[in-house]
Amino acid sequence: MTWRNTRLLFLREVKDQLRDKRTLFMVAVLPVLLYPALGLGMVQMTVLFRETPQTVVVLGAEDLPGPDLIAGERFAEEWFDDPAAASKLRVVTAASEADASIDGATLLDAATEVRAAHERVEEVSAVLDAARATGDERDLAALQSRLRAAKARRATRFAESGIQVLMLVPPTLDEQIAAFSQRLNERGTVPFEDTGEVPRPLVLHQDADEKSRLAYQRVAGVLQTWERAVLRDRLAAAGLPADLPAPVAPRGLSLSLPSERAAGIWSKLFPALVVLMTISGAFYPAVDMAAGEKERGTMETLLICPASRGEIVCGKFLAVLTFSLCTAGLNLFSAGITGGYVASLAGSGPAAHLGGLAPPGLGSLAWVAALMVPLAAFYSALCLALATFAKSNKEGQYYLYPILMVSVGLTVFCLSPLVELTPLYAVLPVVNVSLLLKSLLASGGAGGALPYVPVVLLSSIGYAGMALWWAVEQFKREDVLFREAERFSLKGWMKHLLREKEATPTFSEAAFAFVTILLLQFAMMGPMQQALRAAAPGAEGETAFRLVVIQQLVTVAFPVLAIGVLLTTNVRRTFRFRWPDWKSMAFAVALAISLQPIMSVAVLWLTGRFFPELPEGMAAFKQSMASVPIPLALLAAAIAPALCEEIAFRGFLLSGFSRAGRPWLAIGLSSVAFGVVHLVPQQVFAATLAGLILGTLAWKGRSLWPCVLFHVIFNGQQALLGRAEQGDLGPVGDAWLHLLFDEDGYRPVVLALCAAGTTGLLVWLANYRRDEPSEASSAAESVVRRAAPLTSPASLGT
Amino acid sequence: MIQIRALSKSFVDLQRGPVTALDAVSFEARPGEIFGLLGPNGAGKTTCLRILSTVLKPTGGSATVAGYDVLQDPAEVRRSIGFLSNNTGLYDRMTAWELVEHFGRLYGLEGRSLRERMESVFETLRMTDFRDSLCSTMSTGQRQKVSIARALVHDPPVLIFDEPTAGLDVLVARAVLQTVADLRDAGKCIIFSTHIMREVEKLCDRVAIIHRGRILDQGPLPELAARHDEPDTEELFFKLIEQDEARVAGSENRSESDFAPLAA
Repeated sequence: MTWRNTRLLFLREVKDQLRDKRTLFMVAVLPVLLYPALGLGMVQMTVLFRETPQTVVVLGAEDLPGPDLIAGERFAEEWFDDPAAASKLRVVTAASEADASIDGATLLDAATEVRAAHERVEEVSAVLDAARATGDERDLAALQSRLRAAKARRATRFAESGIQVLMLVPPTLDEQIAAFSQRLNERGTVPFEDTGEVPRPLVLHQDADEKSRLAYQRVAGVLQTWERAVLRDRLAAAGLPADLPAPVAPRGLSLSLPSERAAGIWSKLFPALVVLMTISGAFYPAVDMAAGEKERGTMETLLICPASRGEIVCGKFLAVLTFSLCTAGLNLFSAGITGGYVASLAGSGPAAHLGGLAPPGLGSLAWVAALMVPLAAFYSALCLALATFAKSNKEGQYYLYPILMVSVGLTVFCLSPLVELTPLYAVLPVVNVSLLLKSLLASGGAGGALPYVPVVLLSSIGYAGMALWWAVEQFKREDVLFREAERFSLKGWMKHLLREKEATPTFSEAAFAFVTILLLQFAMMGPMQQALRAAAPGAEGETAFRLVVIQQLVTVAFPVLAIGVLLTTNVRRTFRFRWPDWKSMAFAVALAISLQPIMSVAVLWLTGRFFPELPEGMAAFKQSMASVPIPLALLAAAIAPALCEEIAFRGFLLSGFSRAGRPWLAIGLSSVAFGVVHLVPQQVFAATLAGLILGTLAWKGRSLWPCVLFHVIFNGQQALLGRAEQGDLGPVGDAWLHLLFDEDGYRPVVLALCAAGTTGLLVWLANYRRDEPSEASSAAESVVRRAAPLTSPASLGT
Repeated sequence: MIQIRALSKSFVDLQRGPVTALDAVSFEARPGEIFGLLGPNGAGKTTCLRILSTVLKPTGGSATVAGYDVLQDPAEVRRSIGFLSNNTGLYDRMTAWELVEHFGRLYGLEGRSLRERMESVFETLRMTDFRDSLCSTMSTGQRQKVSIARALVHDPPVLIFDEPTAGLDVLVARAVLQTVADLRDAGKCIIFSTHIMREVEKLCDRVAIIHRGRILDQGPLPELAARHDEPDTEELFFKLIEQDEARVAGSENRSESDFAPLAA
């Protein structure tokens, strides 16, 4: 690969894109115009915004104690923190109605109806309570249905009334309060214990209705302030200090400087913008450079030039990256400038709490620029690879929407203030850059996030590299480059799948099987939880273990076996059901025993440091392992997973993935898939590592059985160790524990021996290679398979 | 210059199942000669030429161009050929001059040598009056000229023309054919694929008739005419195709009858 060709292709692509109006519009015009337009729109909206006041009806306002809660058609301004807010609530009372509009009268009538409906509910409810108390089961159902009907009527009446909040003041409330105050004044002579049940005002509202909820919040605030005044008056009258009810009265004080408040805002805005804009900036140029090239019929012109496919893709990639960075940079610049300007305009408006939004410092901007590059590179390569699949611009856009959707989801996730950078998040694509940026911007480029910088940068560059490699691979595939825009026919496709079966699954069939496993596991979650909840108390552990066996069979083994039998001709080769050689069987036993202590020590060490603690359900499951019968524990934890998962991952998926012609890629992909289905980070880690070893063993040993054996012994040890600890295994178990552990955990000697053993075994595996089965026998096998249809006519005839 | 030995290409198509686009095709083309590839649409001409241009990889056999193997030295093969087909479109947002210059650079030409070569190609093909027009604004004839200039800019020893007159009017087509003839006279090795008999008669020194991915016969036209006792090229072509169709139909019937006893 030469830089000269890459540079030539890069320059041509950039020049070409700059002559394309659509790209220019997306990259340059839109960001420069969009944010000022948005800013202007926002200012206009705040100017034009008029909130229609919400209606509050107070029935029995005349019975409210002083000081005056209501003044005319409003709550008195003094009960509001912001006196201007008083105009947002219109208060209708019997007194205000006299000198107000007709609709005031209507509202009062409606309110009276709601009150009647409410009283009816109270009545029925009281009857029902009485019936329950006497144990009269006969009318219970009828009463319950009456209560439901009454509640429904009350809700309907309220919804139809046009009232947002209805306050029902009990008659004689003021008298009762006055009487109470009186008694307080005469304290010492009147006992306070027998104040009895005092009727309280009731504030009716509707939670499901936004307007009603907002009005209720305001009314509640008003009532709280007013109530404090009522209390203050009472205390004053009784000659008691005003701070009696608040002896501590702690005061909050925020130490944030205005610049830090601004940093908080930038730390939310910029990471989200960086993610969304790098992908938007890569999106259109990538589609135009890959799918557009096919659509315009210039792909072959490009392919016959002396530049290699790698040079072509790198040239295009650099061009997409340039546009992605420019788009993101311009957007950030424009958003930053406009945001600061709007905040400075806001003054006393609704954005006033932002204060003068100080621009982010140079250090912060440098971080944004540094982290934007690997992210943009990742998106550029990914978009390019996906767009290469497409035959036309339109098709390319369909393929890229999922990336956009996933990125938006991740961005929203990262925006949550509770989500912080952890070692695990630091290696997740997109999330890592987003969270690191958030943390760096919030702290002004200092603080606890700095140690993560190399990890995030390296992993992001790694992901970008992988995506680029994938894009180059796509560009080397004839079926991708010369895909005809054929009419897709489901019937034709099914026919093709069933008629032109091959000996082992294709790459896509393996990928499909993996997705099916994931979906089935997702679908099984609901029924599994239901079954667990329905389990008899005390038997949850056993039920859980039975369910695990069923889940393994249904979601892991069944789909691959079904697809394998239906779509391949050589089930034995597909699943590697070949007889194993003794060497790999011995290797499996030895490695399972020597690897187990090392893996559990590693996982334990990483938990808390790198992985979060085990989720509750998982921990409970592990605990219940102690109570179920040993055979069931072994079946659920060792035998079923070993058989089902090996058939799926080392059998079907590995066979399918290895059709791409790269065994190491196939082993890597199958072990990542194996890791992903384990969901819990600790298990994902252990399973992916084990998957690499098992994949290598399956590939080199050409048989599934050593892998199954390894899996059974490895998992079985974990299950049995727990049982040995509670003495279920008798003296043998005690001896086993004594051999492995001292008071501090695994004996150092054991760990050293296991480490040495594992290393030796892995070296052996690296050099091991079982001979290919003789060509003649495998050829004969495939001929036999092809000649015999699945249901032979002869067998049907008999 | 070009040697093809038992070249095969097969792939799987969703609609048609496994397809053999090329079936053990062998031929040779020499410098100073126009080798015609004559066949109906879908005969495998384009697949064969795409393999020669290293855009597709063969599934069997071998091919060398100017001494380079298409699988071992694809970059050198691409450097040695000028390729023109219906599928080699032009970049709409570039001018004729920019486009030819871009490809000239990719072929390793620079500075004065590139400019002089371009001037001479533009002069020969009479393209100077539209050299600064965008390709999107050009007529079909002008676009074809730009494509030819693009294929010739690095002065390759081998030229591959896949139906170069398709969609052109008579005048432009005649000019294109004249250019091809001139290139032969300049000592180039040329492969010329077409389904137009007149072009074959007029240009080609030797011809291969290709049908369903197989070469039915090859040689100089007079020789072919004598061998099949058919002086008219068009009739000769149809005769060979019909014979092949009959052969294919016969073999299909035979294979069906092979299974007859089992069915009974």
